[in-house]
Amino acid sequence: MNVGLAIFWKDVLIEWRSRDRVVAMLLFSLLVVMIFQFSLPGGASADTQVYAPGLLWVAYVLAALFGLGRAFTLELENDALSGLALAPAERGWVFLGKALANLTILAPAQAATAFAFGLFFALDLTAVAAPLAGIVLLGSLGLCSVGTLFSAVAVRTRFREVMLPLLLLPLLVPIVSGSVRATTVLIATGSVPFEPIQLLVVTDVAYLIVCFLTFDYVLDE
Amino acid sequence: MIRWTGILLAALVTACTVLIATSPVDARQGVIANILYVHVPCAFAAYAGFLTTAICSALYLVRRDERFDRIAMAAAEVGVLFCTLNILSGPIWAKGTWGQWWVWDPRLTVTLLLWFVYLAYLLLRSFTEGSERTARFAAVYGLLGAIVIPLNYFAIELFGGAAMHPDNLEGDSLGPAIALPFAASVVTGLTALWHLVLVRADLEHRQAPPDL
Repeated sequence: MNVGLAIFWKDVLIEWRSRDRVVAMLLFSLLVVMIFQFSLPGGASADTQVYAPGLLWVAYVLAALFGLGRAFTLELENDALSGLALAPAERGWVFLGKALANLTILAPAQAATAFAFGLFFALDLTAVAAPLAGIVLLGSLGLCSVGTLFSAVAVRTRFREVMLPLLLLPLLVPIVSGSVRATTVLIATGSVPFEPIQLLVVTDVAYLIVCFLTFDYVLDE
Repeated sequence: MIRWTGILLAALVTACTVLIATSPVDARQGVIANILYVHVPCAFAAYAGFLTTAICSALYLVRRDERFDRIAMAAAEVGVLFCTLNILSGPIWAKGTWGQWWVWDPRLTVTLLLWFVYLAYLLLRSFTEGSERTARFAAVYGLLGAIVIPLNYFAIELFGGAAMHPDNLEGDSLGPAIALPFAASVVTGLTALWHLVLVRADLEHRQAPPDL
């Protein structure tokens, strides 16, 4: 477990010093929001609020893909990946450390994107900020768990930039589906629906367990 | 083994053709309803293929036996083939009965998703270098992809009733005149799957470089 915490701290510290992934993800997701303004009939406005939860999660997923792609690229330098593989602990803890670091690095970009969405779509998200943060956390947990695992896979394949979205997007559908439905109901009624949250929790737990157990085989050389 | 599954498949195809040709035509949908004997068995065969990939992937990770990797790969390829046939036959039936080629029905959507998952599995195999690494990475993905299979089966229940596809079949829901050719077509579909998996796995074994 200490190994997991050490890796989490290492990744967060590297990000704190460079701030490259947070800034890149933030700018990217804001650009996506701006593109929605041009792609929606009549632009992003109160009339198109119905699309907001879906578009918000599209921005989150695209930004996460952008950031997750970099999660293991750093470890290729000076063969740091071999160092991770030699960590004196169950490799599942290495996975958990990396996944938690990715979740932490993604959070500021998600918060800023939600704020921008609130402005552009004339949505008052302050009243539902706490439950919305909970839904985003649940969705991001699943996203970062499979994302971290397949970032480690994709980084050692040909066409690594293409492989990560190809591997990840089909597996993210249950998470995106649950998150969008939960966010839609939350924004419309102010209450948190049970069924999408149930789908999110079940998918998160299944993904976390399988990723924790199989990370050993991904890092193996 | 391959020869026997081949003979069994030929016999089943013959019996199935006779049974379908002599089965009654659906009173409301007409002859187009006979796609049932291709569409549903293809779906079952695809499910079985993907499930085999997941089980053999887990067995490969535990035992590191290349035979499991070959069967996992073969089952994914043949599963994708049956899933493609299922996705292609569905719209033909849909156009005849619902009046549209494609409807974003939960089961249809999740089947398409399953197709993408296992296409990604096959792409991962072709984009990874080194046979051992390819097998390991593919096994991990094959195992995670299996999480989508129950989602597909329970799609209609999960997404709450707004579905064009019927609920999961229960006993006696088809009637004896259709149930027999339907059951025969399902058995034929599954036999075709196992036969093609065995042929493909055998081909892969023959193509593998010899151990020095």
